[in-house]
Amino acid sequence: MAELLAEVVVVGLIAGGIYGLFAVGTVLVYRGSRVLNFAQGEIGMMSLFLAWYLVTERGLPWIVGAVAALAVAAAVGWGFERLVVRRMVAAPRVAVSVATVGLGLLILATELRLNGENPRSLAGPISGRGWEIAGVIVSPTQILALVVTLAVGVGFATLLRRTDFGLGVLAAAQDANMARLVGVPLGRVSGFVWAAGAAVTTLGALLIAPTVQAFAPGAFGRLFLFGLAAAIIGGLTSLPGAFVGGVVVGLFEAGAGRVFAEATFPGLETLSIFVLMLLSLLFRPEGLLARSGGRRPA
Amino acid sequence: MNAVFARPGLRCVVVGVVALAAAPLLGRAGVLNDYRAVLIGEAIALAAAGLSLNLLMGHAGQISLGHGALLGVGAFTTGALTPATELGLPFVVAVPAAAIAGALVAFVIGVPALRLRGLYLAVVTIAFSYAMFESIFAAEQVGGGSAGIALPRPQVNTFLFSKEVDYLAILIGLFALLWLVDTNVTRTKIGRAFRAVRSDEAVAASFGVDVTRYKLLAFALSGAMAGIAGVMVGHLKLTVSSSVFGYERSLLLVVVVVVGGLGSRVGVLVAAAFYAFYPIAMPELFGAGVRGYDVIIGAALLVITMARNPGGLAGTIREQLEERRAGRERLADAAASGTDDADGSALPKLPNMPRPASLAGRPEAHGNAPVLEAKDVTVRFGGLVAVADASLTVPQGRIVGLIGPNGAGKTTLFNAISGLEVPESGRVHLLGHDVSNLGAAARCARGLGRTFQNIGLVKDLSVTDNLLLAQHTVAPYGIPAALGYAGSTGSVEDELHERAATAISGLGFERYANTPVGKLSIGQQRIVELGCVLVTAPELVMLDEPSAGMSPAAAENLAERLRDLRDELGRTVLLIEHNVPLVLDTCDELYVMAGGVIVANGAPDDVVRDPVVVDAYLGGALT
Amino acid sequence: MSPDADVLLSVEGVDTGFGSSQVLHCVSLQVREGEIAGILGLNGAGKSVLMKVIAGIQPAWAGAVRFAGVDVTNVPAEARVAKGMGNVPQGRQVFPDLTVEENLRLGAYTMRRRSKTSYAPALASVWERFPKLHQRRTQLAGTMSGGEQSALAVARALVNEPKLILVDEPSAGLAPLVVEDVFNTLRDVAATGVTMLLVEQNVAAALRLVDTVHLLQTGRVVSSGPVGELDRSMLASRLGIGRLLGATTTAALRTRTAKKAAAPGKKSAAPGKKRGTAGQPRPASVKAATAGKKVAGKKVAGKKIPATKVAGKKTAAKRAAPAKRVAKR
Repeated sequence: MAELLAEVVVVGLIAGGIYGLFAVGTVLVYRGSRVLNFAQGEIGMMSLFLAWYLVTERGLPWIVGAVAALAVAAAVGWGFERLVVRRMVAAPRVAVSVATVGLGLLILATELRLNGENPRSLAGPISGRGWEIAGVIVSPTQILALVVTLAVGVGFATLLRRTDFGLGVLAAAQDANMARLVGVPLGRVSGFVWAAGAAVTTLGALLIAPTVQAFAPGAFGRLFLFGLAAAIIGGLTSLPGAFVGGVVVGLFEAGAGRVFAEATFPGLETLSIFVLMLLSLLFRPEGLLARSGGRRPA
Repeated sequence: MNAVFARPGLRCVVVGVVALAAAPLLGRAGVLNDYRAVLIGEAIALAAAGLSLNLLMGHAGQISLGHGALLGVGAFTTGALTPATELGLPFVVAVPAAAIAGALVAFVIGVPALRLRGLYLAVVTIAFSYAMFESIFAAEQVGGGSAGIALPRPQVNTFLFSKEVDYLAILIGLFALLWLVDTNVTRTKIGRAFRAVRSDEAVAASFGVDVTRYKLLAFALSGAMAGIAGVMVGHLKLTVSSSVFGYERSLLLVVVVVVGGLGSRVGVLVAAAFYAFYPIAMPELFGAGVRGYDVIIGAALLVITMARNPGGLAGTIREQLEERRAGRERLADAAASGTDDADGSALPKLPNMPRPASLAGRPEAHGNAPVLEAKDVTVRFGGLVAVADASLTVPQGRIVGLIGPNGAGKTTLFNAISGLEVPESGRVHLLGHDVSNLGAAARCARGLGRTFQNIGLVKDLSVTDNLLLAQHTVAPYGIPAALGYAGSTGSVEDELHERAATAISGLGFERYANTPVGKLSIGQQRIVELGCVLVTAPELVMLDEPSAGMSPAAAENLAERLRDLRDELGRTVLLIEHNVPLVLDTCDELYVMAGGVIVANGAPDDVVRDPVVVDAYLGGALT
Repeated sequence: MSPDADVLLSVEGVDTGFGSSQVLHCVSLQVREGEIAGILGLNGAGKSVLMKVIAGIQPAWAGAVRFAGVDVTNVPAEARVAKGMGNVPQGRQVFPDLTVEENLRLGAYTMRRRSKTSYAPALASVWERFPKLHQRRTQLAGTMSGGEQSALAVARALVNEPKLILVDEPSAGLAPLVVEDVFNTLRDVAATGVTMLLVEQNVAAALRLVDTVHLLQTGRVVSSGPVGELDRSMLASRLGIGRLLGATTTAALRTRTAKKAAAPGKKSAAPGKKRGTAGQPRPASVKAATAGKKVAGKKVAGKKIPATKVAGKKTAAKRAAPAKRVAKR
């Protein structure tokens, strides 16, 4: 029994690391603009294709592919903010999110056009068999993913709280007009969070690629959705919450996977995560680690 | 012929029947081949799905990014009922069954939707779509696994609709039915209530719309329509499998609805046709290279539409037409009169609206009994006491004023009386009945009308539509009757339109009848708001700062109108005001509030001399 | 030196509005260095919109805004703050989920970008001026009372050492006694030499503070001039100041024109109506709130009227040309 539990914990933590990264990307954009960027997963996928092309097809080192992918993702995020989000300053936040849906669809359709449905693969930065923990084989990349998630989470949390610019980000999320009235450059702040959110999600995609082994357009939809669930459960206004939410979702998924391993009915893990998210929204909408008392987001 | 085109319901039926008959005839005549019939059928099925999402997102403003799942519910319902290997039930049973299934599932999503707004609802619908796709639909028992479920064509006696052109007739018939239902929604109180909920729930409630009920109704109706659309497409393709009803399909529907134009049936049809024809027609015309661009174009249009005009193509066209019409009228006005009533000081006389016949059951004010009694009302927000033990009585046929400095709690007390705030303690009696446990909509139905500081109108709706919406509580036909436009619906609607027209002509606003209220000046909006309050002849008229934004000259005219309200129309009025001369000239009695407490009450001239009142306004600087 | 040399802010022929409705029509006014200028008007006159145009949040359809000699009409709000404009917006708008100290650090955003070293002394002087805020420096701004938030909003604008502070309806949503505190704070702040432009609905409170009054009515400036030149009939007709408030306003006017405040009971507002003040018996027909409830007016006795401090400087009584120079405090 204890081994089973340990196995669930290990699997859950590893998956949780990636979900946490996706969640951090979501929370960043939300804290900066009060919008959910539904295209973030697809931006990650698109950048991943670029990395695949450079690394697997052209034989360049992984780091080159990764940097290129991150740069392109940041550019797309920044560009979308500049061209679309900024124009919709007065629009309801849902409208901006629907626009991101359009962006996601656009990227997906373009991927299909250029790549077709062929699955591709991208090996991780560190090769090697990895270690066996509690009966589960954990690859070096997966450990790296956990470490990166922590580092990114802590890094952004520090940035937001300690630097002036970060404080400006927080202020802009609470009251965009007032932020301008104290001199915070709203445009730069906004552009930064959208670029950073896209880049962080891409980082997650890069790190999970070796685990999923093969990816095709649209394959990350489910993973990104779990990241969204993690962000909501942990609290959309909290970066540490994103990490916690990721772990919760990872553990829950692993647990459900174990419980339903014998069940013939398909997709029960997805169903359970959906129910978990619904319950979280109904009973604790501000998330587990809400920052301030009772301030319901959006 | 004109008679046919003038009545939308009849129009719909006639067009539907003609198109329905045309399909098989054209097929037999060799003009329409099966291949083309399939294309048209796909367009119609997609348009039907689009109509269902349009009702939820376009009319009622509830976002759904997972509508594909509801299509799947309908398709798999018929998959469980019609094939010979299952229950072998006929098509005519499958259609209503799918509608019911779709409505139930949508309702289940609708209940949590009551507590979630915007973004959260969007995420829930996406997650719902994924969960259905990966779990429920993927199950063998439901979705037949990867092979899917084979569906038969409908059969009536011995005639099997195996030819596509014949089945097309059925598709057209079902589509016309959905179109008709949607038309009935938009031209009755249901559609007006939806649009009010979409625009501003608090304003909707103050118009007497039960927001919860209408939100759930929107979900259920949308689900039913989606269920039927699922059946339509299933029997067209002769097979259903889960791959068709995934997240991409949901997004495609969003594109169709948004780009076509939120709220526009025709826009949806056009967009759906584009998506059905493009993958086949374009490569034929331009070669295989153009494949796949329809989604790209659609997605790009979606982004552009949201950024520039969420009303979509239909909205843009409507606005252009409106601009041109308004421009023409401005020229006509300028030519006709040299003066510019810039400060809007001239106020039309308020229309004298007789009590609507359908209100016979509502209690009336009579004799000396007070119209309103509020006793010891206390309203608390967290740790802050906004109103403490306030008591207020409004006698019949009087104008009572409530004045006090900023932040005294006047609007909060108003909200407690009208039902928008729930007080911690105290009772409110309207016409002798205790309404303390009733919500704003219910109090409105009992004869309480109020205006708002920020103008409580639905800004996107026209003047006429706002006046119709204001009569929501006096439209006594039920929702099923409205959907079928049956029974007394037609005559009641005519009466509502007449009353709205009377009010508009009484105000002299004929040329603004179809103008969205948001485009009028503040003064004009206030007048429309007053008209909306009066159109149901409420027993108590509550006005929140009616003179705000008016010049002193206009405020004087307002004072006259208020006196007319009392003397000529016999209404009872309770008003909040900052304009003290206005108050002194119109009110029979004054209450003064400061710091959440009523500090004085009496005849205006006495109250004005009360040192406590003077101090309250001045904060004691006068020594 | 030309008389215009010390004009700090100049609004010239500004039109603006929302969608197709125009709210401001050809609005022009000037604010001189060191003065406290007030924009008064009824609800909906366009006062807040005008402030937003000056601050840079609302674009002007036509006309210009000049600040410290520079045309800032097309300069975004953030940059105007860097040039020396400070904002105390309507409703305070403190950042509720940030602490007092973080709010102040944000207020000094543009200063810290220029030079991190000026922040410490600026912050120290703000703490000195607002000791209560210093006590609460780690408290979340959203949990403070209205009056405390007002102080924070003013401090936040002040810490950036602006040349001009724009204050939008400081009395909105506050109890009368708190309003007095806020206006005292504003007076102290203005005494440091910073120029202040104020928009206010509470005419009496504003009149006790400002040097120059601009009256706004339905989007047009209908009069501009020193406070000493305002008279009751002009106020009554422009602002609809009625019989109730007339007494206060007259009193406020009188203190500003250096006349001693009239003894209680002698003020006559509308002809034929007697005014009651503290000390006179209350008319019998008035039903008061139940005894024992705290009433806002009770705390009044004994409050010093700060206006007398300023009264001595206002010697402009009846004059033809409006006073242009205002003594630097």
